Parts: sequence; C-alpha cells; structure tokens
Amino acid sequence: MSNWTTASRAMLRRILSLDTWLPTEMPEYAQGFMYMLGSLTASSFVVLVITGVLMAMNGPDTWSYNGAMRFTAATHFWAVQAFFFFMMLHLWRVFFTGAWRGGRGGTWLLGAIALLLAIPTAFTGFLINGDLYSQWNAVQAKDGLNALGLGWVNLTNAGQMFGMHVVVLPLTIAAVIGWHITRVRLKSVVPPYPVRKKRRAELK
Amino acid sequence: MTKRHLDVVETYRTVPEDFVKHLIGTLVIVTAAVLLASLLFGVPEKPPLTIQSYAATHPLAFEQVALNALDGQGAIASYGPPYNHGSASVQTGLQQAVGVIHPLHANTAFVLKPLAMAAAINPSLRPALRAFNQASLAQQVRWEAAFGGALTKGTYQNGLVATPTANDGPLPALMNAMLQLGRSGLLSGALIRNPAIVTRFDNQNYLLFLQGTPLQTAPATQAMLGSNWGIIHPAVNGYPGAWWMTIPTWIYQWSFVANNAAADALALSIGFLFWMILALAPWIPGLNRLPRYLGVHRLIWKAFYREHENPAPGSDRKEPRHAS
Repeated sequence: MSNWTTASRAMLRRILSLDTWLPTEMPEYAQGFMYMLGSLTASSFVVLVITGVLMAMNGPDTWSYNGAMRFTAATHFWAVQAFFFFMMLHLWRVFFTGAWRGGRGGTWLLGAIALLLAIPTAFTGFLINGDLYSQWNAVQAKDGLNALGLGWVNLTNAGQMFGMHVVVLPLTIAAVIGWHITRVRLKSVVPPYPVRKKRRAELK
Repeated sequence: MTKRHLDVVETYRTVPEDFVKHLIGTLVIVTAAVLLASLLFGVPEKPPLTIQSYAATHPLAFEQVALNALDGQGAIASYGPPYNHGSASVQTGLQQAVGVIHPLHANTAFVLKPLAMAAAINPSLRPALRAFNQASLAQQVRWEAAFGGALTKGTYQNGLVATPTANDGPLPALMNAMLQLGRSGLLSGALIRNPAIVTRFDNQNYLLFLQGTPLQTAPATQAMLGSNWGIIHPAVNGYPGAWWMTIPTWIYQWSFVANNAAADALALSIGFLFWMILALAPWIPGLNRLPRYLGVHRLIWKAFYREHENPAPGSDRKEPRHAS
C-alpha cells in the first residue's frame, strides 16, 4: 500500500456508500425470520442505549424509588433479556449456516467479541442497581477477577462500576457491533453451501 | 477463485428489499415486547441485606462477624491481595503479583476506626477502647480467644449481648458498642468514609463487611450460591437471571473445579477456553466444516435448495447473478 490517503479514500467510499447502508435488493436466500435475528439484536441494543441514557441522566438512586425511573429500569432490564435472547438465536443461525465462509471469518470473530463484551456490560449494570442481586454478585464475583489478576476492576466500587457500565463497556461494544455490521453490509450475508450436484444431475 | 470460496454457492438472484422498513420493523417489535414485559412484570428487585438489619436480627452472629474482623479470622481479614497481606483467598501467583491495590485491614477499617468515632460521641466507651489499643498483641489475642468462647454461650438481652464471665478484657464492651453502632445504622457511614473527598462512590468496605456468614447464610441468597448454579438464578423467583452465564456456571459444578483451591481462576479460564473455541471456529479444522454436515442449513435455506435443486420448468425467468 503505497499511498495511505488513496487507500483510505477507496475504503471510505465503499463504507460510506448508500448502496452499502440502504440496499434496495437482497440475496434471495437472505429472507424471513432467520434474517431478522441480527437486526433484532441490534434493535435491542438501540433500546438499551435509549433507556440507559434516560437512566444515566437521572442517577442510580432514582431507579428503585421513582415510579417513572423504575419503569425505565424495567424496560432496560427486559431489553437486556431481548438483546441476549436474539443474540443467541443469531449466533445459532450464523453457526448452522457456516457464516464465516467466503472470507467472513473476521465478521464472525467480531460477533464473538461482542458476545464476550456483552457479559461484563450486563454484569456491571446488575452491580449498580443496589439491590440484593447487586450486593450478592459483587462479593461473589470479585474472587474470580482477583484470582485472574484483574483486581483493579473493583466490583464493590459502585463508582468504577457505573463508569464501566455507562461509558467504557457500551462504547467498546458499540464500536465492535458497528464494525461487525459494517463488515456484514460490505460483504453481504454468506451464500448457501453449494447445491448438491449429484441430485441436480439425477434430475436432469 | 480462491480455495475459501469453494464452499459457497456461486450463483443466486437478488430480490427487492425495503431495508429501512426491515430495520424499523425490528425496532418496533423489540420496543413493543420490552414495553409489554415492563408493564406486565416490572423489574425484579429484592431489598439488600443491610448492616443495620443484620445487626438487629442476628445480634450474636453480628458480634461474631465483628470479632472475626478484629482477630484476623474473618473472610476479608485473612483474604490477601488485593486487600491485604493475608493468604486465605489467594488462588494464583497472578493475584499475588498484583499486590495490595485496594488496602483493607479489617481490624482497623471494620472495627477500631468505627469504634473510635463512636467513642467521640460516647465517652463511656473510651476506657475500653484505650485498654484494647494499649494492650500487647499477645494480650489482644488472648482476649479475643476468650471472648470467642464466651460468645458461643452468649444471649441477647435488652439490646445487648450478654456473655458469661471470661478473661476477655474490654471485648464484651467493645463488641456491644459495635452492635449498637450497627443497629443505629451509623456503621455503614463509618465504613465508607473517605476524609479526602466528599463523594461516596466506593462502597467496598460496606459490601465486604457482610460478605462472609451474613450473606452466605441469608435465606434469600441460597438459590444463588455458586454450588446452586449461582448467577443464572435471579434474586426474585420467576424472573430470568443472567442465563447467558450458563456455561461458566456449569463449569463451576464440575467436581474437580468445585473442589479446587483455585476454583474461580480455573472455572473462568476454562470458560474463556470455550469462548476461544467459539471465536476461532472459522479456523479450527473440522469445526469449521461441521455446519455443512449437520445439515441445519438445509432447513434454513429450504426454499433456496428446493428451487435450485428441483428447478421447476420455466422457473429460470431471471438470470442468476454471480455472487459478489
């Protein structure tokens, strides 16, 4: 790569194109509910961000005692459930269709990283809620992190957990999901395994 | 064509798609489902176990917790890095190498400093506290051992714990002062105080004070014990918990993990190995071809295969396009 600017222009021209983000056609095999699972996962993440911003604006103390914020906390809670539910279904779909084929291994890897990041993202959210579940899991899970030499992540420090849950982890996971989706749009979804030639031959 | 493309069908058609409608549709579905679940079920929250409530309901056990913090036998007092130089909960060399980065010396942080604050507003406590602080370490240990024995025969009367006479020096008075501090609700503030700043984001000492017997034996936490598949269970029955932690929680149930002194390090490391296999599936020989042989893809792409393996007469109205 001799000229980085030229290469960046070429790459961004593809990434920022309307054809990448607003296609008017899709492959014939990418139809139906199985091809809604990724979008349902991403939609759950959008709902999580919106409800999470509302919660962050009002502060953790309001989540348990203010009626409107308690309802917002409920939507955040169920959106987490939806996020993991659709992500797991999406994971099964992409696994069973061997979605890494055709040079899509990086897309799979980014999805796996998003799954890994989603776990501490959800966990730190549970920790700052302040109920028995927070209390119990903070003291139980700290031993694992301490044992792995990750003691600087202090699960019993609500301030650090708030920062992790509201800024550090969501920004990181948003970047990974964004990269994942960009790759899906650029490379399109994986085509099916080849048609069985034998059966085609028999039919002829 | 490179080798990696051999496993992909080469020709397919494209069909019209309203992608924006698709995206708005999934957002509406999730939003509606989340709002409905929130209206119907709300959010699960179980009140926490507070120091005040534990002191009020378990006065003898509370004094035992305070005594163990003082004599170094408590879960945190003997823990090790990152809190102190104990060794009871050190699982790996890595944990040791990280060192004491959240200093917590249970005897002073949990007991002696709160008592010093209590003594400032309750002068009758001062002689007992002074006697303990001025005694030799050996004397303190003898008092603690004697009081530990007496406490097993203790009774709760009129807001205080009465113990049989023993050579336990000022400890009955000090531990009853701790109990009163706990019952008043003031101990929580004493535990998380920080003279350097006015904000109170770090509630480490509050949470760790109750981390041993109080939380481990609370009826509300029994379903969430690690041996009972821990975190995947909610605190409120009937709600979903963190079910996505099923595999790590399952690993904790393996007997060689559960009985290992480094159970947490082992379980999380094996869990990470599971994730590595998942993440690297595209490059693991055999695993990367498994979906083809499982055949589930034929159900997912049923219509595609039906059409392309059994082309109906005249179905080739559209010219197939080459895959990009």
